[in-house]
Amino acid sequence: MEIPTETQPEVESLNKLMKKTLISVVLAGVAFALYQNFSLMPGYEGLNVGLSNYIIESGLKDTGSLNLITAVLYDYRAFDSLGESTVIFGAVSGIVLILSRKMLPVSSKGLSFIVKRTLGIMTPFIALFGLYVITHGHLTPGGGFQGGVILAAISIIFSIVYGSAFDYRRYSPQTKTALETGGALTFLGLGLAGIFMEGAFLHNLGFLTAETGTLISAGSIPYINIGVGFKVGAGLAIIFYSMIQKTFEEDF
Amino acid sequence: MDIRILFLILVPLGTAFLIPFIDLINAKLRRFFVLLGILLESYLIISIIINNFQSLREGDFFLQYYLGGWHPPLGITLAMDGLSLLFAVITAVSLFLIVIYSIGYIGHHEGKYYVLYFLITAASMGVVLTADMFNIYVFIEMLTITSGALIGFKRSQEASAAAIKYLIYNVLAGLLFFLGVLLIYFNLGTLNMADISQNFASLESGIQLFISAIFLTAILIKMGIFPFLFWLPKSYDTAPSPVTAVLSGVLSKVYLYIFIRLFWTVIGFETLVALNLNVLLLDLALLSSFFGHVFALQSNNIKRLLGYSSIGHIGMITAVIMLNTDAGFYGGLLHIISHMFMKAGLFVACGYLLQYTRSHAYRDFKGVGLRNRSVFIAFIALLLSMIGMPPLLGFASKWYVLMAFLEARSYFGAFIVIFGSLTAVIYYLRYIAKGFEEVKLTEDDLREEIYSRPLLSVLYREKIVSFITYAYTAIIVGFGLGFRFFDLPLRMSIESIMNVERYIELVLGG
Repeated sequence: MEIPTETQPEVESLNKLMKKTLISVVLAGVAFALYQNFSLMPGYEGLNVGLSNYIIESGLKDTGSLNLITAVLYDYRAFDSLGESTVIFGAVSGIVLILSRKMLPVSSKGLSFIVKRTLGIMTPFIALFGLYVITHGHLTPGGGFQGGVILAAISIIFSIVYGSAFDYRRYSPQTKTALETGGALTFLGLGLAGIFMEGAFLHNLGFLTAETGTLISAGSIPYINIGVGFKVGAGLAIIFYSMIQKTFEEDF
Repeated sequence: MDIRILFLILVPLGTAFLIPFIDLINAKLRRFFVLLGILLESYLIISIIINNFQSLREGDFFLQYYLGGWHPPLGITLAMDGLSLLFAVITAVSLFLIVIYSIGYIGHHEGKYYVLYFLITAASMGVVLTADMFNIYVFIEMLTITSGALIGFKRSQEASAAAIKYLIYNVLAGLLFFLGVLLIYFNLGTLNMADISQNFASLESGIQLFISAIFLTAILIKMGIFPFLFWLPKSYDTAPSPVTAVLSGVLSKVYLYIFIRLFWTVIGFETLVALNLNVLLLDLALLSSFFGHVFALQSNNIKRLLGYSSIGHIGMITAVIMLNTDAGFYGGLLHIISHMFMKAGLFVACGYLLQYTRSHAYRDFKGVGLRNRSVFIAFIALLLSMIGMPPLLGFASKWYVLMAFLEARSYFGAFIVIFGSLTAVIYYLRYIAKGFEEVKLTEDDLREEIYSRPLLSVLYREKIVSFITYAYTAIIVGFGLGFRFFDLPLRMSIESIMNVERYIELVLGG
């Protein structure tokens, strides 16, 4: 029994070395193969081929959205966006399932008075910026996903600056869950409204269109953006608050 | 434009979105809501079959739906042909049985469990129905994330480790798939499957090889074929039994569907032959099958053993499909159906049998059969079907697989089928014998029994759990006697696999 315990570390380090060499050989091989094959790709031919040409030409006319990326995301391929936001929904549910504990978050007093005051002045502007990015998704770069992340950042900054219980007490996890599912159901509801009013799921709603370039235009796109924004914001905040919760043995 | 195929995806999706709301209002309503969702899904499937029975008979069954009203190359299309219908039906049946089992089995964190379960339902329906490459990637991602979370459901250290391993492998596969989709869009400027299929042959052969190889690697990781199988046994072992039944019964079959759809409809089998990938893939799949059965022989853990046996069977199915003959598809699809029910049934039975044991290990299997005699008999029937005993469904499908290999003169394949059955006899009989062994409790055993926590203290509703086990056994026995019932759906699916031109014409022409 004594001999193996003496040789074990040596064998283990040798195994580790073997493993490392093997992994680097495989990675080098994969990198070489990828390089070889990517060099075969034809050069970039501009936007004149395929679907992109059509979308650039008539995207504005079809959807009324100045931001063509939003037009693709929430009109031409809106079903993909529904799927992507469902992936976030699933990830939030999974993380809450695995990490959620019965305990309240770790309590702390937060940072100094100066930081707290400064953030108190800045917070409305951050929120305003987040809402701006969400609501102007069809006019300028941005949209529901990006604006939602900004809104979630407010919640995270609160927990760092004011202590983790501050935000938790004001907006309980139940409120956040309601916001998240509310956003998801808004998306789904607008899709179903498309069936009843225009005859196809997620069809752009015609009666909401207005003059191009105004805030309330582009059919249902701004409303889908708002739904996705609240969903993503609340979802990321829920993920953050499940991650900072304390772990106890009896919770397993 | 048939709206019901859209609702096949939207009903589980809406159920998943509404369950958190129901939880906030009244958690007791949740169970009825779950049942309502799954019954509505079954109703949709049944009504699709009944309303289109005439066209199913005549072999011109095809339904599609344009999302957002955008026609094919521009928007996303949902399309349902014979192959999609077959997979949609068997997936829905499996998910229906497993959700009822879960009502009896899952005792904690039910809300999140059902949310993730219905997301899996929606995603697998989406994968089966969509006719768009990027859309299929979105649904694959959804399947990966939700099933990864469910693998870590027990929240123990091993479960988390297995979930992380599963996620690393499968997210990597998803990324490779995404890279393939990007390359296709970069070269062809379209994402619609029929459109890609029409233009794929015009690419240079180097690019064709690159795209095929990337898709192949992604799908092989997802299915667990030989060089990439190491995530599979661990996650099958640690996940709770209904989740394992979903992983092995539904997800691996959905990935097989993607494999068939991708390499017959989109890329085309002629391209694979021209690139010399078909022989390589056939041998790889057979090797994987061989290794799966060999690993199963040395495994000392029942759920891990079933996982390795899954690798063996999935490898065999892939190989027989790669023959690209009518007989090969007939055997392969029949074995997909029978393996789906056998494996899910075995995991379901394991969940019942292992409820009082300390671990899933071989030594703890002692006396299991004496404690729950009737469920153990059902378990034995399912094991015999895995081996390939005559009156059961496993025999019929294995027979057709064997015949297909012999017809194509692929004797190595035929050898693997026989070898798999023979090794299965060895490794399953060991467990059956152990299950009937009398337990003589000594003082030490009793003390250990008291101080070590059992895996699951007590089942929530024991009757439902055992009932689902009997239901699976009844399916295996009943369809084993009447496997001719599958003749029409199988012929219909083979027709839709082989006739790619018709698919292209119907999707693009509409």
